[in-house]
Amino acid sequence: MTAALAKAERPAPRNRARARFMRHRGAVVSALVLTIIVAAAIGAPLVEGWLGHGPNDPDLGKRFLSPTWAFPLGTDEAGRDVLLRLMYGGRVSLLVGLAAALASAVIGTAIGIVAGYYGGRLDAFLMRLTDAVISLPSLALLIVLAAVDLKKIGVPDSIAYSDAVSLYRIIFIISLVGWTGVARLVRGATLSMRTREFVRAAVALGAPARRIMLVHILPNVLGPVIVATTLSVGGIILAESVLSYLGLGIQPPIASWGNMLSNAQEMLTQAPQLVIYPGLAIMLTVIAFNFLGDGLQDALDPRAGE
Amino acid sequence: MMRFVVVRAFESLVVLALMSFVVYALIGLMPGDPIDIMLAGDPNMTPEDRERLRQLFGLHLPIWERYGNWLVAAIGGDFGFSRTFNRPVLEVMAPNLGRTALLMMSSFVLSVAIAIPLGLAAAVRQRRLADYGINLFCFAGKSVPPFWLALMLILVFAVELNWFPAGGIETVGASGIVDRVRHLALPVACLTLLNLASVARLMRAEAIGALRQDYVRTARAKGLAERRVIWGHAMRNALNPVVTVIALEFGTLFSGALITETVFAYPGMGKMIYDAILGNDYNLALIGLLFATLLVLVGNLAADLGYAALDPRISYR
Amino acid sequence: MRLGRIALAAALLAAAPVKAETRDTLTIGLSTFPPSLHPLTGAELVRSYILAMVARPLMAFDPDWKLVCLLCTAVPTFANGLAREIDLGGGKKGVALTIAIQPGATWGDGTPVTAKDVIFTNRVNRHPLSGVVSGEFDRRVVKIEAKDDKTFVLHIDRITFDYNNLAGYRVLPAHLEEKAFAAPQDYAKRSTYETNPAERGLYFGPYRVAEIVAGAHVVLVPNETWFGKKPFFKRIVLRAFENTAALEANLLAGGVDFIPGEGGLTLDQVIALEARHPKRFRYLYKTTTSYSHLDVNLEHPALKDRRVRQALLLAADREAIARQIYAGKVSVAHSSVNPLQWMAAADIRRYEFDPAAAKRLLDEAGWSEMKGGVRHNAEGERLAFTLASVAGIKANELVMTVLAAQWRQVGVDARIRGQPARVFFGDTLQRRKFDGLAFFAWIVSPESVPRTIVHSSMIPAAANGWQGQNFTGYRNPEMDTLIDGIERELDREKRRALWHRYQEIYAQDLPALPMFFGTVGFVMPLWLEGVRPTGHSATSSIWVEEWKAK
Repeated sequence: MTAALAKAERPAPRNRARARFMRHRGAVVSALVLTIIVAAAIGAPLVEGWLGHGPNDPDLGKRFLSPTWAFPLGTDEAGRDVLLRLMYGGRVSLLVGLAAALASAVIGTAIGIVAGYYGGRLDAFLMRLTDAVISLPSLALLIVLAAVDLKKIGVPDSIAYSDAVSLYRIIFIISLVGWTGVARLVRGATLSMRTREFVRAAVALGAPARRIMLVHILPNVLGPVIVATTLSVGGIILAESVLSYLGLGIQPPIASWGNMLSNAQEMLTQAPQLVIYPGLAIMLTVIAFNFLGDGLQDALDPRAGE
Repeated sequence: MMRFVVVRAFESLVVLALMSFVVYALIGLMPGDPIDIMLAGDPNMTPEDRERLRQLFGLHLPIWERYGNWLVAAIGGDFGFSRTFNRPVLEVMAPNLGRTALLMMSSFVLSVAIAIPLGLAAAVRQRRLADYGINLFCFAGKSVPPFWLALMLILVFAVELNWFPAGGIETVGASGIVDRVRHLALPVACLTLLNLASVARLMRAEAIGALRQDYVRTARAKGLAERRVIWGHAMRNALNPVVTVIALEFGTLFSGALITETVFAYPGMGKMIYDAILGNDYNLALIGLLFATLLVLVGNLAADLGYAALDPRISYR
Repeated sequence: MRLGRIALAAALLAAAPVKAETRDTLTIGLSTFPPSLHPLTGAELVRSYILAMVARPLMAFDPDWKLVCLLCTAVPTFANGLAREIDLGGGKKGVALTIAIQPGATWGDGTPVTAKDVIFTNRVNRHPLSGVVSGEFDRRVVKIEAKDDKTFVLHIDRITFDYNNLAGYRVLPAHLEEKAFAAPQDYAKRSTYETNPAERGLYFGPYRVAEIVAGAHVVLVPNETWFGKKPFFKRIVLRAFENTAALEANLLAGGVDFIPGEGGLTLDQVIALEARHPKRFRYLYKTTTSYSHLDVNLEHPALKDRRVRQALLLAADREAIARQIYAGKVSVAHSSVNPLQWMAAADIRRYEFDPAAAKRLLDEAGWSEMKGGVRHNAEGERLAFTLASVAGIKANELVMTVLAAQWRQVGVDARIRGQPARVFFGDTLQRRKFDGLAFFAWIVSPESVPRTIVHSSMIPAAANGWQGQNFTGYRNPEMDTLIDGIERELDREKRRALWHRYQEIYAQDLPALPMFFGTVGFVMPLWLEGVRPTGHSATSSIWVEEWKAK
């Protein structure tokens, strides 16, 4: 019975949400653009097959080439294919963006629901913690976190020295400070949910707290969480690029848009295109995520938008 | 009201204390120690030299003890010396703090001065070309990688057009306000562009909301000039939440300043903190980070108070 | 309309006149800023670069690689009688050096530079709490005495071939620093160099520091008490841009006149700049004793086999890298001894690019099974290792990328790992934690003995407190004997033979894979004359009074 009630509480029928989303032209175009970018990232090995060279194959005889059929966007300072590196770099940047956004959303939702549901001292403590994390100068803190020696906290050498460690590390540290927005949002929504009849009914019926939070509250706060998560992806991609730019993010030879930019900045006057391409890729992707989030907000949470 | 301020101030203090320990411990978790860095620069150093310097800097003590020592001294007003500069940290930080404050305040004022009319303009011309244009511009501002924007500004305005210097704080010897302003131009422009977007977007949303309110309709019905309706009524009411967001954005502004300073080789707080962290300069990194945190906390507090002052419906007890 | 006014204001600002071309000021662009100008508390290249203009070291190797006196009057030798053997008792022999300070040498506040200053400096260097980086030389001094105001005698506890080498030795002004040194543990903080770096009395060079803005710039003006040739420029401004894009943009925009090879742009950046602006500046390239190489961890199961090391070198096309990345401006190294050094031998083994020979050697060493493009041995182990280096040095990253690709061609799997400098030097190298190869470079003075690098007593380990720079773990009794012999041998020709054998062993054993001898690039305005790069660890700024504008 309670489940049926919960369903009835869902904000709006799906097709109305879709109609609202489709009205947001920026969001529709962005969804399209993102589809293309994701397809490019996924399809990178295919293109690699067609072109017949890899993203990390240096060729000193082919440095700084102009675009040709074999190198559609030319080559970089090591004679590597810029297009391929952008595509593979997109994989890394998107992966970081999505994974960290998802992780932040999970942490934030958990903290928000718990704080909102239990209230009282726990709530006060969790919200003060949230405030504290928000008030930290996040970039400076990220720099400290990125410089921590994994071996000093007992991570085995095999992991601390692996190629992918910079990837996991950056996802981890961004999630560590990125959850606050969602936590506040979810707490607010949970507070209002708690006063709803179907939740009070479930409590009166003696349903365990965990079940109430997972079955009754969580589905109803998912809309704003999705919006906030989508909106945060862009910010995270930017954060990754900034850390990589400062030399603390993704390490070469793995390409990410951030470290491609960082790599190219010394050649700013010599080969500006190497700076411009990854910058545009980041900007396009981030704009698209922001518009998408905006559109989703219109669709899922119409009151918040205006 | 008074009580609210006291409670918030106390909370901020707790945050600061926690932050100081977290940062202290984290810096301890960074690889190598300052002596190793010196060693890299000087092949003639012997192990005796190293051990001697470790003792001198107190690096042989466990981290708890070092933190305790630091805290006791800090409460007594002694924040210690910067290891790299051999000067008291406040003395090292002061000029940097001044320069960063100049950078942040200029771009803060500029971005508010531009963003509010921009947001209003978009709100008034809702769903027209100007609105879409402003919206797109804002999205672009929120989405551009900050250091990339800085590099582009250097490429276009310093290298290609040669209008502004590409970095530094002044032409040495050529004193004068014009010279200083010319050096500030690109960093401030960069930081302003980065911060403009969120304020303008919020202003737009709030102004749209305000324009729909009854009192605006009443004002219009009374035949007030549109100009006065917009500036007098809509803007004043939209301003409250905007002020809050602006103050909350101080943390972001600071992050932006860090990047801007790095690219434009502008010696300020952000760059100082970055170098101090990487250079294992405990005291300097710590105080720098704490000051940055303090800045954000004060900003937040000011926002709360400003909000209360602007909106009589809210009272803090 | 308001917007229009702002635009106008911006245009006016932009049109403000660029600084008029004045040839009596030289603005130098640097990529780092020294934390302090104290001569002893740090050894950063940029610190030495600036210090050289305001206070000379006692001696230096000049651009012709000759040891010359700068603050002193004559280099003591056994031949001129200023050096003599002394008996230290117990069969130990030492040397006594009589050194005279330039009669005209005077600190900027009018106080003469005297033997008292040298004795004070020695005290500071020896004190365990003074905070100086390196007290090694001063601890060898058993006695120091002043013969008169301007002359002192150093008693040193050993005789080596470079017994009289005091290159780079810097003297402190006792009259200003003695008070600060009263509490030695606080000396580094209370030194006048820190509390008032623009104090005239700290400097006796052709210039003195007039203004210092930390992180931004240093302004130098001629020092009124300078005893040598009068410098040409009325002002030297050193500006730091810790972002090479900003540094380069400033050079192009005229904010900086000159970027020296020491602590300015890296070689590849200078080459790229020359390609874009060949006529705007004068470019000067100077080969140096900087030796880049890949240290091998000789405990690595695959790399401890000499044949594998030789194969790696054969499979690396160093000539192509030098040609393509460095425009042919660096030379391929064959051992750690630079061809510019007098003891360089021409007839030692070279490893020209020969992938076929590399493959044969690897097969011979048992790495003959190809699986997935990588060699395996009979036990099924992969021929794989990491290639570590400091992250963020673009040219190095590029070289490593290319090396890894070339080794891939012969079935060797090398993974690149960039680390922050502090990790790489402090941990990876010093604690010998690299799992394969480590790429870095050092710059040496004209004849420095690689004792700390190849002597078996210099392998860093917990037992010896991680002493030494023999990161590879190289042990060879013959090498140890050679190093001891070279240090003690005073006869140059006999030493040459020992050096020859050293290079032979090095090239055969390959404790490190030699890469390149570096080159530094200077970017100079067309009107600047008189800058002479040295090619070794002494900076060109020591001879700043020779610089002038055309």
